Parts: sequence; C-alpha cells; structure tokens
Amino acid sequence: MSDEAAVEFEHVCKTFGNRKVLDDVSFKVGQGEALCIMGRSGTGKSTSLKLMIGLLRPDSGKVCIGAEDIAHSGEEDLSRVRRHMGFLFQSAALLDSFTLGDNLALPLRRLDKSKSPAEIERAVDETLERVGLDLDKGKMPSELSGGMRKRAGLARALVLRPKLLLVDEPSSGLDRITASEIDELLLKVKKEYGATLVIVTHDVRGARRVGDCIAILDRGCLIGFGTAGELDKSDHEVVRELIAEC
Amino acid sequence: MKKFFAFIGEVSCFGLKGLWEAFRPPFEWEFFVHEIEEIGWRSLPLVSAAGLALGIVLSLHTRSTLVRFGAEAMIPSLQSASFFNELGPLITGLLVAGRVGAGIGAGIANMRVTEQIDAIESLSIDSFKMLVVTRIVACILILPMLTLYMDFTSLIGGFIAERLAAHISLQLYLDRAFKTVEWANFIPPTLKTGVFGLIIGTVSGFFGYTTDEGSEGVQRAATNSVVLSSLLIILTDVILVKAIFFLFPRDAI
Repeated sequence: MSDEAAVEFEHVCKTFGNRKVLDDVSFKVGQGEALCIMGRSGTGKSTSLKLMIGLLRPDSGKVCIGAEDIAHSGEEDLSRVRRHMGFLFQSAALLDSFTLGDNLALPLRRLDKSKSPAEIERAVDETLERVGLDLDKGKMPSELSGGMRKRAGLARALVLRPKLLLVDEPSSGLDRITASEIDELLLKVKKEYGATLVIVTHDVRGARRVGDCIAILDRGCLIGFGTAGELDKSDHEVVRELIAEC
Repeated sequence: MKKFFAFIGEVSCFGLKGLWEAFRPPFEWEFFVHEIEEIGWRSLPLVSAAGLALGIVLSLHTRSTLVRFGAEAMIPSLQSASFFNELGPLITGLLVAGRVGAGIGAGIANMRVTEQIDAIESLSIDSFKMLVVTRIVACILILPMLTLYMDFTSLIGGFIAERLAAHISLQLYLDRAFKTVEWANFIPPTLKTGVFGLIIGTVSGFFGYTTDEGSEGVQRAATNSVVLSSLLIILTDVILVKAIFFLFPRDAI
C-alpha cells in the first residue's frame, strides 16, 4: 500500500439550502482499501460519493483523489481524474435509450480516446462476461431484472478498469442472495484490479464482509471510523446500533 | 408577479444558453441524429393524419358555403392560402408541442430522477449539450419540414374531398391551389415554425432538466411542457403574423 491516500476528505462542509448535510468531515482511504460509509438516511452518505466524483463541490474543505484536490479543479482536470474512477449508482442509472452494450461503450468512447472501435467492442464483451451478462449485450435496460441492472451498472463502472470504484447502495432493492452476489463481485474487483472501493450501504453484513474499514455518518458529522471490530467497541450508541448484526 | 417574471427570465436564459451552446464544439452528432428521428420521423403519422383530415374537413365546410355563390372553383386556392399562411404552421406547432413537448419534458425529467443525468456528468459529458441542446436544435430544424409536410398532406386531403364531390382532376386542383400562392406567403409562415421549435425545445427541456420532485416531477414536467409550449406558440404566432405583415405588406391585403 502506498503512503498517498486514494481518497481524502479534509474538513469538508456541504449545505443544501438551510440544511447542513456534511459538517467538517475528514477521513482518508488508503490505496486498495475498501471503505463502507454507513448512517441513517439523509446524513450525507450519497453526497459524499458525489463529492468524490466531482458531481458536487464542497462549500469548504478539500476532496483529494490521489494528489488532486478535485474540489477546486477545472473540468479538464476533473475529466482526467474521472478516467480512473467508476461509479455504480443506486438505481444503476443505465441510459434507457441505449442498449447494454452501448451503455458500456459510452465511457470508453468519451474518456478513452486511444481505443479503436474493435478494442472498445472487445473491452465491452470482456467486462460483460466478468459480471455474467455476456448474453445480454443487445438488451435494453428495461428488459433487465433488478439484479441484472445492478450488475450492468457495475459493468459500466468497471469498463474503464478504475483505480477507484464508488458504489451507492449496492444491495438496495435486492434479495439477500443477489446482494451477496454483488458483494462477491465487488470483492473480486478489489482483488483483481487492486481498486480502492468506497461503498455507501445500509447492509451491515455486506459492510462487514467487504469493508476494510467503516465510516459512520450522523447528521452530517463523522461519528465513527475504523474496522468493524473497533466500531463494535465504540462508546457512541448510534455507531453500535448501526453496525450491530441482526 | 415578481416570481412570474423571474420564471420567464430563467426560461429565456435557458433557451439562449441552448442556442449559444449549439454553436460551440464538441457537437453531439450521434444524439442529434437520434433526436431528428425521434422528433421528426416519429411525428409523421400524427402530422399525416391531421393534415389529411383537416384538408378534407376544410374542403367540405368551404364547399357548402361557396357553392351558394357559384364560387366553388375558389376552394383549392382558399385551401392552399389557409394552410400555407396559418393553419399548417400553427397546427403543426401545436401537434408537435403535444407529442414531442411531453416526450422531451418527461424523458429528461425521468433521466434526472433516475440519476441518468448524474451518470452522464460523471463521465465528463456535458448533459445540457447532450440532452437539451440536441433537442432544441432538432426542434428548430424539424418544425419547418413538418409544416411543409402538413401543407402537402392537407392539399391531398382537400383534393380527395374535391375529387369525390366535383370529379376535379389533380392537374386542375393544383393549378387552382397554387395560382394565388407566392413565395412571400409561403416561405415566412413556414420559417416562423422554427421559432415554434425553439419554444418547444426550450420550454420542455427547461421543465425536464430542472425537475427535482421524483415521479410527480416527471408528470408535472410533461404537463407543464405541453401547456406552456402551446400557450407560447399561440401568443408568438400573433406577434410573428404581425411581423410578417409588416415585412411583406402585400400579404396583409
């Protein structure tokens, strides 16, 4: 593991209207680690992910991806940083007017100009095979089940072979077995790509299984950060409640 | 009142930004072609049906009146004048506002609600250019073409009605229809529908792109797109007709 953090939040604050969603939040995620962010609904978990990929900018503080502070970088720098990032949205967010194959080809066409159409095709096929959707390349998103959409979203996030994978609620709306399959895929990605994972989740079992460390947010503040074992012994009642296994 | 003017200002800025961005690279050709197909090609059945039906109905109505004065020979020219000058552009604008405006408003709003716009932005693609500018430009270019098509189908409808009622030949019908038509009463009214296209693309793009109210927002975006686009088309039509009469005074007589 290198010394440089893959992701670093330094005193990040973010407000929507009168509501302070993140209040002076600071943490680091090391290269190749998996961080799970947990917390009650509306405590700034998804906002943290959107700050990491530059969809939102903090009101104050730094959001560093590697050595780059993306809170203050221009579109070109942001685009360069995003070349090494993948984002799995909660609803998978596949473009519904595109086939599955075209959904995967889009990041390659836009962010990796060096690839020829044949190379793009090959990369799409390989990634779909990796998530077990190689027979569904020509299907539209509306033809896919919830679990398949999630895997398709993951495939799109993986097609650029990212060093940093951001995942928003991978198990939401899925049964336990499918959620477990998604967790398996995430672990495989972490191992095979050496990727850093930041996962927002409510699924304690998944977080304990995939996460090297867990961050707990409550009312915009970071109230716990550490391994599951460390957090089990936390003095904070909300932390213990949130990571208690059912 | 203040809110109303602020809203008008917002929509206007949105439209102006759309026009400005249309001339700045990178150009989203792939999505533009898709929108041309979606807005133009898929509107053809509706425009065809409306043109044919209106052509027949207008011919039936005018015949019953003009026949009393022995002036039924004027039916083709009355038909062409009505459609080329006003009915064709206005009805095409309203039809497209209904079909396409609702589609654009609901489509973009749905993309916002289901995080597809965030997904596009996360790939460093300008979602405004990809989703809004392509639709605005497609609407501006397609509306005049659909208007021409509406004019054409209405003449076919009128001819069918006249053929059944008076056994008139196609040659004679077209001769009479185009006898009084000049470029000045044909080109400006057709081109004014480009403005209708700008209104439809801007208004529906605005409601879709700025929604943040979940599935209810999608429904509201679709409804508001149709209502405001239609209203603005009717009001703008009055202004544009006056402007055309000012620029081409012979048309006003």
